[in-house]
Parts: sequence; structure tokens; C-alpha cells
Amino acid sequence: MPETMVQARGLVKTYRRKDGSTVEAVRNIDLDIYKGEIFSLLGPNGAGKSTTISMISGLIEPTAGDAQIARYSITKQPMEAKKLLGIVPQDIALYPTLSARQNLDFFGRMYGLGGAELHKRIDEVLDFIDLKERQKDRIDTFSGGMKRRVNIGVGLLHRPQLVYMDEPTVGIDPQNRRRILDTVFRLRDEQKMTVLYTTHLMEESQELSDRVGIIDHGKIIALGTVGELVQKVGEEDRLILKVGQQKIAAEVLERLKQVEQVTSALYDPPQQAAEGADEATDGVITVFAKRGRRALPDVIQIANDASIDVLSVEVREPDLEAVFLHLTGRALRD
Amino acid sequence: MRKILAIIWQALSIAYSDRNLLLIMLATPLALATIIGLAFGGTGSGDISIENIKIAIVNLDGVDENGANGQVFVDLLVPPAESAANSNANADTAATETSDDGGVVCGQTPDEDSSGRNVLFDLTDAVEMTDAAAARAAVDTGDLVAAIIIPADFSENLAYTQDDSTLDPTSIEVYGSSAALISSSVIRSITESIAYQIATGNIAIAATFDTLIERAFARPAFGLQFQSAAASFQPDFSCAFVPSFNPLRLEAQTVSGARVEFDPLVIFGASQAMFFMLFTAQGVATNVLEEQRTGTLQRLLVSPTTRLTVLIGKLLAAFINSLVQITLLFFAFSIVASLMRGEIRLIWGTHLPLVALTMIVASLSVAGLGVLLASLVRTPESAGTIGSMINMAMGVLGGAFFNVQAIPLLQPLTAFSLIYWGTDAFTKLSQGFTDIGLNLLILLVQGSVMFVAGLWLFNRRLKV
Ligand SMILES: Nc1ncnc2c1ncn2[C@@H]1O[C@H](COP(=O)(O)OP(=O)(O)O)[C@@H](O)[C@H]1O
Ligand SMILES: [Mg+2]
Repeated sequence: MPETMVQARGLVKTYRRKDGSTVEAVRNIDLDIYKGEIFSLLGPNGAGKSTTISMISGLIEPTAGDAQIARYSITKQPMEAKKLLGIVPQDIALYPTLSARQNLDFFGRMYGLGGAELHKRIDEVLDFIDLKERQKDRIDTFSGGMKRRVNIGVGLLHRPQLVYMDEPTVGIDPQNRRRILDTVFRLRDEQKMTVLYTTHLMEESQELSDRVGIIDHGKIIALGTVGELVQKVGEEDRLILKVGQQKIAAEVLERLKQVEQVTSALYDPPQQAAEGADEATDGVITVFAKRGRRALPDVIQIANDASIDVLSVEVREPDLEAVFLHLTGRALRD
Repeated sequence: MRKILAIIWQALSIAYSDRNLLLIMLATPLALATIIGLAFGGTGSGDISIENIKIAIVNLDGVDENGANGQVFVDLLVPPAESAANSNANADTAATETSDDGGVVCGQTPDEDSSGRNVLFDLTDAVEMTDAAAARAAVDTGDLVAAIIIPADFSENLAYTQDDSTLDPTSIEVYGSSAALISSSVIRSITESIAYQIATGNIAIAATFDTLIERAFARPAFGLQFQSAAASFQPDFSCAFVPSFNPLRLEAQTVSGARVEFDPLVIFGASQAMFFMLFTAQGVATNVLEEQRTGTLQRLLVSPTTRLTVLIGKLLAAFINSLVQITLLFFAFSIVASLMRGEIRLIWGTHLPLVALTMIVASLSVAGLGVLLASLVRTPESAGTIGSMINMAMGVLGGAFFNVQAIPLLQPLTAFSLIYWGTDAFTKLSQGFTDIGLNLLILLVQGSVMFVAGLWLFNRRLKV
């Protein structure tokens, strides 16, 4: 049995809105994160990832339940627990008018560091996030990716045993994103840290995680290694048909299910351009089939017969996306 | 303890890298002291040689129902056309919406005292112009020292009403001659001071000093921009500049049966200084709430640092700021008083250690208020609005604008005003009395109660 770094039991967070209604952001979560692993919490926006992190870092009080970090209760012995913990918040939390170095210096002091030791740590971290040249520049002159790196650096200054990273790749370019993913591996492999990583991107989760918890509507709906989770959906391929804004009749899905090899078929309707999103998403038909490529011609045929314009077709091997779809009937997207 | 120091240092270094705040902290005391000094000391006396500065005011501001803020500038700076008209006319035009309360403020002095001339009329030789371009040209040719140009949408942008609750930035342009730097900077200070008075009544001001500097480099003349937002509270500040409306022009007052020489710079100055200091202390609230918005506060709170430590650090940073501010103000008043009388005058009295102690206690108590404010409101913007309202209320009750003693109804309420207790203590000290123990005690108690209440609310809010 591996050593447990974080142990959460019965975590609940209920927010009360101004109008009196309540939001159950987190409903009864149990979680064990083992020492030295990368554990990712995968779930769509609003699933409760950040709320969970806030509770197990001692920022907000759970409505019920508690968490222990290396056996220190975050609610009863918060100072001891917090010393072990480094945090990379979802939104960049830095002083924009101070330089990178000044930011590191200030937060280092808040972790009780000082003097030559602090100086050395800051140099190490600047090396690690590869920003030594720009250390004297103000944060508000940095690019998004550079800010993200400083945001990460601040969480690593005091060499925590445990790091929480809340969606650290949101809103940055692929190159910087690659860099951050590599950083996560280095934290585990070189620094022997335990990492809790949240994301709504199944590719990240699949690549990084030793173990994954899938979270939806405030509950953990599946937990295990990527391999274990994928097995849950069986060895099924997925045929993904993008169909744009057209209406898909229920009987089309029924007919698809009759096809040999096919076990089920789902339709995810198009979403109107949400606020903030650039454009509407396409409607998607997902067909689960034991051998996807075999079923493909028949599936296309049925679509043609129903005069559906298929924009694109893709055959995917089992992955976490399939697990999510299987468990919730919804696609994992925001 | 080391963490508290780090928090203080961090808050101060951010505050002092903000040139806009520095400008307000440094320039306003001088402007205030000069205006008050001129108001009470009369002009032509002493060594003040700056007078009759030629300026033009271009008021493009349309009169709207929220009060013609632009007109305030004209009324304050341009003498009425008929020489018979006295300052009453100014007040009438300036006090628009607030005429009910404004009546209490200004209308209470029926005596048509000719000494009630607005001092700014002597300081400046202002004309009203209608064409901004012509005014700028006159500055360029040297006919004018400066032109104050009030934009058409000035009042409208400052207005905060039910239907228009957006707070629009607006700007006043001070087009100054680079050939007459001192005079034009006096004009700039005055404009800024008036605008500040309008803006603080309306809500807090955010002068974009960066823009000023950029423009100063870009042009030989300098520009000044204000960004202001508005709230419905619009007291009439013009009264403050018109001596006949100011009951504080009493030159002597009977204290314990004996007539004591009384320096108006002291009581008016002390209350203005206390009042102004509240706005400096309000900065702590804005700072905490901005940190909450950017997430750095949350970052502090997930580090092994208690909420108490964080708030004590913020309290002490506000304390230091306030202390610096009131010290600057007191120096400015002393310098102006000395200049006007042509000799060094210790207008705050000779009990310097007690004066210093009072300054320290007063700074602590306003810092307590700042912390309470930080915990009461949720956004930096509402800290500005609600903070300004609290400050105004304290200012009114503490006698920063008019003599509260004249209104029996308000008298019992003065005890709630930090400004009252501070002003009272400074006044006593300046007259040579030392019985300020009660004042200091009350200031300390008020400050501590506010800090503890702030801490409690802060804890409660963060638990969410
Ligand atoms: N302070 C709050 N008050 C009310 N509801 C909240 C608050 N914070 C989060 N929520 C709600 O809780 C749910 C979970 O949010 P969050 O934990 O941020 O999700 P995620 O990080 O997975 O995107 C959402 O429905 C969100 O709207
Ligand atoms: Mg989140």
C-alpha cells in the first residue's frame, strides 16, 4: 500500500446564493493521493475542481468533511498542513507592478524563508522556470505564458512535498503548454513531489496522470489509472461524426444501434455560441463499436440515407473521453 | 513578526510606486494649505507673491440635472461680472441640487460681508472663454499662464443616478505654459484640488498621473487628466473656499473665560488634514480588495500565514501612510503660516512630543477604519464609494466643512467622528492646553474597535 499524501473524506461544499438558493459545488468527495504520484482531477468547467482544491488547501472551510495532508488536518492544524503545500492557482495571482523576483521574494517570506536561503531558492526557481533573464522586469510586461511560469514558480519556492496545480495551461499557446506539462513530470521525477493536477482536457490528463479522478457535478464518478478507467468502457472504439447544426432524429440513432458491432449511439446537440466562446460547436454523433472500422461503412450509409451532411468522421481508440461519455452521456467539453 | 514586516514593506512599495498616489499625497497638502492660508490670512501680506495669475477657464460642461460641476470652477475662479455681486452669487450657482442641505451649509451666513470675497479671485486673474483652441493659443503666445478646459461631458460623466449607474472616466485639461512653470503648477494644484473636492464628494478620484507624465513629455505644455467616477452624494464644496460662508473665520474664541489667540489655519487645517488622511487610510481597503480580486490575497492565505497577521500588516501599512500624510500636511500648514507672517511659526503649539503622539494615535485610528472598510465591502470600487461617503459623513460631523456647533441636531453625533476628536486635540495643543488624554483614548478605542470588528468580518467573509 503506497503512502498517502492527501486524504480527503466526505468533503461537501454548499454555497448559498444571495437569492437564498444553494449550489452544491462539491458533494461528498473522498480522495486519496499517494506520495510521489501525479494525480489528475479531470472534469468539465463547473464540476467542482477549484472548490475541492480550495477546501483541501485551507482557503475555504468545507461545509462538511475534512482533509489531511501528511496526517495534518487542514481544518484543525492548518499551519502545519500549509507548510507542506505549494499552490498554483487557476488564475494568475501575482503583483503586476512588482518584478518576478520581488514576487518570489515576497511569497517566499510568507513561507517563512529569508536571507541567503531565500536568495538561493529564488535563483533555483528562476532557473527552473527559465526566467532568469527577465527576473527584474515587472510582471505586467510579461506574456501570458511567462506569467503562468512565474505563477508556478511561486508555488515551488519553499520546496513543498505536495503541489496543487489548478488548470495551469488555460489560455496559453501550445509551446508554453508543452513546457508546463514537462515541468509537471520534472516535479515528480526530479523533485520527488506529489502533484495534484486539475484539467478539463482529457489529453493532458491521459498523458500526465499516474491516476485520474473524473469529477462531474461535484462528485467523483470514476477513479483509477488511465488503463483501469478505459477498461470500464470495454475495448470499444468510438466513431465520431460531426454533423454541424442539423437536427438529428431519434430514429437515426435507433437505426445506428442496429448495425453489427455497434453497442450504442449518442447524439450531442450543437451548442450555441456561449458568452466568451468564439463560435457555436458542431453537433456530434458518437457511435460505440467493438471494431470501429468494420462498422464505419454501414454507419455512413445510414447517415446518407437520412440525408445527414457528415462534416467529418473520426475513429478513436478507447480513451478518457470515452469513459466520460460512457458515464455521463455527455461529451467532456466546456 | 518578520511576515508582518514583509507585508508592510510590500504594501508600501506598491503604494509608493504609484505616482498618482504620491502626487495626491504631496501636492494636495500644499494646495490645501495655500488656499486656506490665503483665505484667512488675506492676500498681499507676508511673502506670498503669487497673485493675479492670468488664466482662462473654458467650461464646455453642459448643465445637467446632476449639478453643473464645471460651473463650480468658473464660480470659484472668475469674479462675477457686476462688481456688486458677492460670493453669495457664487454659492447660489454652485449649490444646485444640494440646495436643501446646501442651504444649511452656505445660506446660514446672511451677512453680506465684503471680506467674504473669494480668495481665489485674488490669486488668479481668471476670465471665462468659450473656445478651447483660442484659450490654448493664448497660453502658447504667453498671454495666459494656463487654461483650464472642462469637457462637455464632465458633469454627465460624474453623475451617478439610478438609471445611469455607470461610472465614466472624465478629464479636465490644464493647459499650462512651460514658460511660467511655478504659476502654472499652482493653477494645476488648484484645479486638482477643486476637482478632488468635487470628485471625493462624488466618489474617489483616480488621477492618471502616468498620462500626465506622458503628455508632459509629448508637449511643451503639460496636461492633466483626471479619471473620476461618481456617486449621488454631491456636497457643495465651493463654500469651503468662500470665507463669508465659513464660520471658522472667527479670529478669536473664548476658552475658559480667557480670550485666546486663535489661528484659523489650525482648526480649519487640522480638520482638513484629518479629513484628507481618511482618504489615505481608505487606500488599505482598496489594496486588500484589489488583492482579493487578483488572487494574491488568497495566495497569502494558503501560505502558513494567519489572517490576523495579514490584517495587522495591512493595518500598519495604512498607519504609516496616514502618518506620512498628516506629517506632510502639518509641515505644509506650518510653512504656509510662516511664509504669510514672515517668521517661523509653530502653529501646532510647542508641545511637539504631544503633537507627534496625537498624530500617531490619529493615524492608528484612521487605519483601523480602513481595515473595517476593507472587510465591509466586496470590491475596490465600492470601497471608493462607501469609503468616500463614510469620510464625508465624518468630515461633516467633525467640522471639516462648516461649524457643526451651529446645528444643535448634529452636535451629539460629532462624538462618532474621528475627525472631531483629532481636530479637537490638535486645537487644544496649539492653544497650549495639554488635556488631550480623553481625545487620545477615544481615538484609540474607536480605532481598535474598528480593527477588531474588521478582523471579525474578514474572517467571516473568507470562510464563505
Ligand atoms: N463563491 C461561490 N459562490 C457560489 N457558487 C460558487 C462559488 N464558487 C464556485 N461556485 C459554483 O460551484 C460550482 C463549482 O465551481 P468550481 O469549483 O470553480 O468548478 P471548476 O473548477 O471545476 O470549473 C460551479 O457551479 C460554480 O458556479
Ligand atoms: Mg476551476
